[in-house]
Amino acid sequence: MLQTEAEYIRILKSRLEGTLPADELADILSDYSEHFRMGKANGRLEEELFRSLGSPEDVAREIRATHFVNKAESNKSCGNLLHAIGATLGLGLFNLVFVLVPFILLVVLLLVVFIFGIVFTVFGPAAGIYAILQILGIPAFAIWQSPLAGIFFSLGITTFGLLLVIGDYFLARFFYRVGIRYLKWNIGVIKGTECVA
Amino acid sequence: MSTDEEQRKRSTCISCHLNIQGISATRIILWLVAITIVSFVIGFGILALAGGFPPSADHPLTPFRNNALLTPNTTIIPLDGATSGDVRLTLGAGDLTLQGGAPDAALMEATVFTEAGIWQPNLALGANASQKSVVITEKGHAGKAWFAVDSPNRWEIRLSDTIPIRLDENVGAGDNTLSLGTLNLETLAVHTGAGDTTVDLSGYHGGRFDGTIKTGVGDLTLRIPRTSNTRIQVHQGIGDITENGFIRHDDTFVTPGFNTSIAVNQITLNQGVGSITLETV
Repeated sequence: MLQTEAEYIRILKSRLEGTLPADELADILSDYSEHFRMGKANGRLEEELFRSLGSPEDVAREIRATHFVNKAESNKSCGNLLHAIGATLGLGLFNLVFVLVPFILLVVLLLVVFIFGIVFTVFGPAAGIYAILQILGIPAFAIWQSPLAGIFFSLGITTFGLLLVIGDYFLARFFYRVGIRYLKWNIGVIKGTECVA
Repeated sequence: MSTDEEQRKRSTCISCHLNIQGISATRIILWLVAITIVSFVIGFGILALAGGFPPSADHPLTPFRNNALLTPNTTIIPLDGATSGDVRLTLGAGDLTLQGGAPDAALMEATVFTEAGIWQPNLALGANASQKSVVITEKGHAGKAWFAVDSPNRWEIRLSDTIPIRLDENVGAGDNTLSLGTLNLETLAVHTGAGDTTVDLSGYHGGRFDGTIKTGVGDLTLRIPRTSNTRIQVHQGIGDITENGFIRHDDTFVTPGFNTSIAVNQITLNQGVGSITLETV
């Protein structure tokens, strides 16, 4: 059970140290101190303020999640996205379903599209070589119904594979943007408590 | 400039302003889409012209063969007590390899490398007194091989080494390779329309036989045992004749020590267009 504002701020600080930059952490702690000061000035009790803000551990988790999501938004990288997802998962067990499962499904989807793209890109030229060998009359390489058609199909398969790889890149960028928005929405929903601006 | 800003700028540069000698990413993607569509349209168009499209039982909706890599289909024809064999092979288009070494009590072991139904040869068997006859016929196809559906075709035939065989073999277009050294021939008739022909009688110790070899367009190589009593009559077409180890009298070539008073293997060559190589081994 929290006793004082100082204890609240101390716990919050200890949970956020090492995650946030020092100046940003100082700003946040200053905001919370100001919030307490204003609340007391308005005649609210400390206990009431504790209840309205939530426990310092929960507040620290939310701040961490918001920080990592903002960082992932401003600086796009897989590492930042993973940090953001990890921090969001820490907000509640239900996020295993609402964040982790969709994330895994999207990663699998992107991976499958990428693998198909690579397979087509590699298979196309190989099948083209087979078509040429088939035209030269080597029966062991006869994989095409019509080897001349096979040359065109090989070209089409190769370019289709390249399109899949390129498309996968843009799909990943799209999912990244949508994912960040979703994480922000998710954090906003979870923050049902009074928050400090 | 901070590291974050540098990284952001670099990312933006790659994703949005990809330029390879003035070609934008969008243009590359449009080109790839166009090439993909045109390639598939042309591919299916060729299939349609070649008879492989629209799909049928023999040709499902795929540009690939029913079975991508040729799978052998082997048939063994037993002797059934016959003491001689009559073998007639007609391969319209494809490669044929013929040799001895059929399993015991079998006149023939025929391995056909093709999966498409239209390319499966017809097989006819017959028996006349003590002679067993086998006729395998594949009529080939119209059009060039590289347009045609399921064109390459390969047969590997093994014949019995133990009984006398009358062999009549005809290849329309394709290579024709016969290794007959272990066989016992009564007659030999070889006809190749277009393609190279090799008739190798190295080590032949079978009975006397008469042979006829006709070539259309392609090279012919004939190897005869030096010790055999063989005479080759050549009707020359267009092309060179190279001999090694024969004694030549005009268009007739005989093996060293040739003797007309004993059994003679008589071979008649009709050359179309291509070179002939005669070798004693």
